[in-house]
Amino acid sequence: MKIIVCIKQVPERDAQVRIASSGKWIEESDLQYAMNESDAYALEEALQLKEKHGGEVVVLSAGPERAGTTIREALAKGADRAIQVESDTLNQLDALGVAQLLANAAKQESPDLVLTGLQSDDLGYGQTGVIMAEIMGLPHASLILNVEKTDSGITVKRELEEGWFQNIELPLPAVLMIQSGGTKLRYATLMGIKKAKTKELKKLSATELGQPAAPAAALDKITQPQKQKSTQIISGSAKEAAATLVEKLKFEVRVI
Amino acid sequence: MSLLSVTLAEPRSFEIWEKLLLIVLVAASAALFFRRFAPILNRILKSRKDPNFSLAPIGKRIWDFFWEVLCQAKVIRERPLPGLAHAFVFWGFCAFALVTLNHFAVGLGLGFLDPAGIFGRFYSYFAATFAAACAIGIFGLFVRRFFIRPRWLGQKVSYESGFIAALIFILMVTYLAAFAVKDASPAASALWWIHSLSILIFLPIIPHTKHLHLVLSPATIFLSRGGFSKIPPLVGDEDFGLVTGKDLTQITSLQSYSCVECGRCTEHCPANNTGKELNPKEIILGLRGYLNEYGPSSEQNIIGKYNSITADFQCTTCGACEFQCPVGIEHLPIIIGLRRGAVNTGAWEDEHGAKLFLALERGSNALGMSASERDKFIQKQAFPIFDGTQEYCLWLGCMGGYDPKGREIVADFARVMNYLGTSYGVLRKEKCTGDPVRRLGNDLLFQQLAESNLETLAQNKVKKIVTICPHCVRTIQEDWKEFGTPPEIEHHSEFLARYADKLPRPNQDDRVPQIPTLKSGNEQKVSETDRVPQVRGPHDQVSDRGVEISPLRPGNDKIVYHDPCYLGRYRDVYEEPRVVASLAGQVVEAPRSHQRSFCCGAGGGLVFLGEETGDRVSHTRVNELIATGASTIGTACPFCNSMFRDALAEKGDAAPQLLDIAQLTARSLPSADS
Repeated sequence: MKIIVCIKQVPERDAQVRIASSGKWIEESDLQYAMNESDAYALEEALQLKEKHGGEVVVLSAGPERAGTTIREALAKGADRAIQVESDTLNQLDALGVAQLLANAAKQESPDLVLTGLQSDDLGYGQTGVIMAEIMGLPHASLILNVEKTDSGITVKRELEEGWFQNIELPLPAVLMIQSGGTKLRYATLMGIKKAKTKELKKLSATELGQPAAPAAALDKITQPQKQKSTQIISGSAKEAAATLVEKLKFEVRVI
Repeated sequence: MSLLSVTLAEPRSFEIWEKLLLIVLVAASAALFFRRFAPILNRILKSRKDPNFSLAPIGKRIWDFFWEVLCQAKVIRERPLPGLAHAFVFWGFCAFALVTLNHFAVGLGLGFLDPAGIFGRFYSYFAATFAAACAIGIFGLFVRRFFIRPRWLGQKVSYESGFIAALIFILMVTYLAAFAVKDASPAASALWWIHSLSILIFLPIIPHTKHLHLVLSPATIFLSRGGFSKIPPLVGDEDFGLVTGKDLTQITSLQSYSCVECGRCTEHCPANNTGKELNPKEIILGLRGYLNEYGPSSEQNIIGKYNSITADFQCTTCGACEFQCPVGIEHLPIIIGLRRGAVNTGAWEDEHGAKLFLALERGSNALGMSASERDKFIQKQAFPIFDGTQEYCLWLGCMGGYDPKGREIVADFARVMNYLGTSYGVLRKEKCTGDPVRRLGNDLLFQQLAESNLETLAQNKVKKIVTICPHCVRTIQEDWKEFGTPPEIEHHSEFLARYADKLPRPNQDDRVPQIPTLKSGNEQKVSETDRVPQVRGPHDQVSDRGVEISPLRPGNDKIVYHDPCYLGRYRDVYEEPRVVASLAGQVVEAPRSHQRSFCCGAGGGLVFLGEETGDRVSHTRVNELIATGASTIGTACPFCNSMFRDALAEKGDAAPQLLDIAQLTARSLPSADS
């Protein structure tokens, strides 16, 4: 099975994001970058499928040169080779434009399965995978926690709301958007990093892949979110307080 | 006849056939010895060369050889009675070198020590003294091994050891008996032959038993890696640690064949003492077993038949084994080497381990928290930012920057520095030093963390670091050297001890109030308006009515000080923290202290690895500390503190209070300097 995993490089989780002087983008010079979290789960899912059923895992990433470090990390974790759509002006596109570039690059590989993360940790549109599927004319499903190969295609487990899950069957080829947390990630190893050095990283320029659509919406201004805190002190004995806390977590905050 | 007129009886001169028989027997014995020893020597020499090994400083090596081999200092110091018994056997053997040479020479009619001559007589008395001591010594060791039977000598009774003890005993007795028989008498001949045969039987037994240490351990001690827990650098693109036989170095192989199976490592191992699988002795003997079966050029994985990955990852890297070993085996580079092999190739699968690695791949600290939490802490405490003008860079570490109790310790230490007028600043950004991943064998992460931190320190022109964490001290000072030149660093106990004269003393008349030192807001995320007092230790009494303020403690506490492994055995700092603690109260000692301190269970990255099998190391240690009757447990490491905090939580009212030495000092400060 040939699996393409789309991976985006995003600012590190701990990053202190500052707004650039233009007010239209963030200051990139002092940021550190990492692999988008749900993309890491997409990669893990692909690697596990390959380990079970054989085949090839190809990383596909669109980004400036610095995205190479994240691509190497994916290769170190076990992907076989990588394709980078290199461009410094991707932030001028919207999800449609990026999906067009990625879909055009993916088509050349005729994959059996395309996996993307559910959404990016930075912009969070959650659109790229769906649009790619449309452009490639493939069936797709999102919020996927688990993929099983069957004789006729695949069975996937989708996460619905309120703790419900849905199992559906899809034919191959297909595009899946992977949700975080469905499996356990592996760590990068020294051996993996050393092997990754010799793996193929093919660079495509954005211009080779056709003219992407102009963004439908323009980014006007970026602002820091307002900080909000609301704290409640629950009174009463330990027992009563615990009971109240559980009730609030269940019915007000709805986290348990 | 006075005692001094007694001389050593020599046999009558031998017939030619007796001489021929002797030559044949000596040759057979020596041949058998070499037939067994040669393959072992070959396996050691065919092992990979040690990268970066250097004989310099030679002076230290000569001293170690003199002190540990010739003087038997470590053997005696760590186990005085059996140690002395062993030393007498060893010295007896040394004294007998000349005697034995002469003994066989006599058999061939070439004796060079005249029993009646001045030197010969003197030397025979000299050797006889040692022979008597040696006979008593070996008898004592025999009784210990077969009748007292300490647990760490193993369950299996070694009959070979008994046989060898008997041979040594016979050697000494036959020598001594020769003073009581007449020269050239049949008895003298009989004694001579029994003595000779004992030696000739003894020789070929050496290579395949633990008695090989007679031959190898002097070399092992002389050729140590130098430094405690010295982890060799990985060399080239194929080196991932100890994966297969090809990764075993000459020193590792030499050490594995030198093990005398005394079990001192086992006796002191915190994992083994709390019912875990790990037995450091078996790790070493496992390598020996591997080398015997597969050899040093095998590509068979070491982990498997001769090594358990579960055991490898139960080690807290406390270093008690390496410290105790009388034959110079360095267990830590071996255990960490095996972990490196397993982690660097991805063979180790552990949920908690992977979580730790991923947290450090993506973030800055081992606790997996957002770096902004550290920023907030710094802001709330109003710590000055290091800008190159201050004397010290105060390194917070993961515990000091993110852990609630670690923060209390840092805050208290900062107050003491303020009181002393020392200038210091903290870095805006700091990453984990890589200690847990270094000890767990993740070289990729360790290198990334070390390089990133070294760059930050260089950019900020840091010259001197002080920190509350012995793990940070060790990792920065020793382990980072592989990737650059770290700044000078010291532990806060060393800093505080230097200022002992200027540190505040508790007022003995009054009870010393506990001053909450964390500035508001650091204790938990609450808004300023509805904040509740939150500085609590595990010793605070919690009742149904809510939390009560802990009772005030008198300044003349009885404080039991717990030596952290990474400060004591790793850095040789024992007195400084005691000096600091003694200002706050009377320091009492736990049964296992100083070099023999028992680990808290956190080291080697184990604090991040979920449930332990068997008893918890921290609980075992805490029970020992409580049993001293001290009202306060004094710590000098935020990891120990964290482990004890959890272990004390279930003790209820019986729990002594738990304070870092910085907190013991800060208690006596005149007032909170806000």
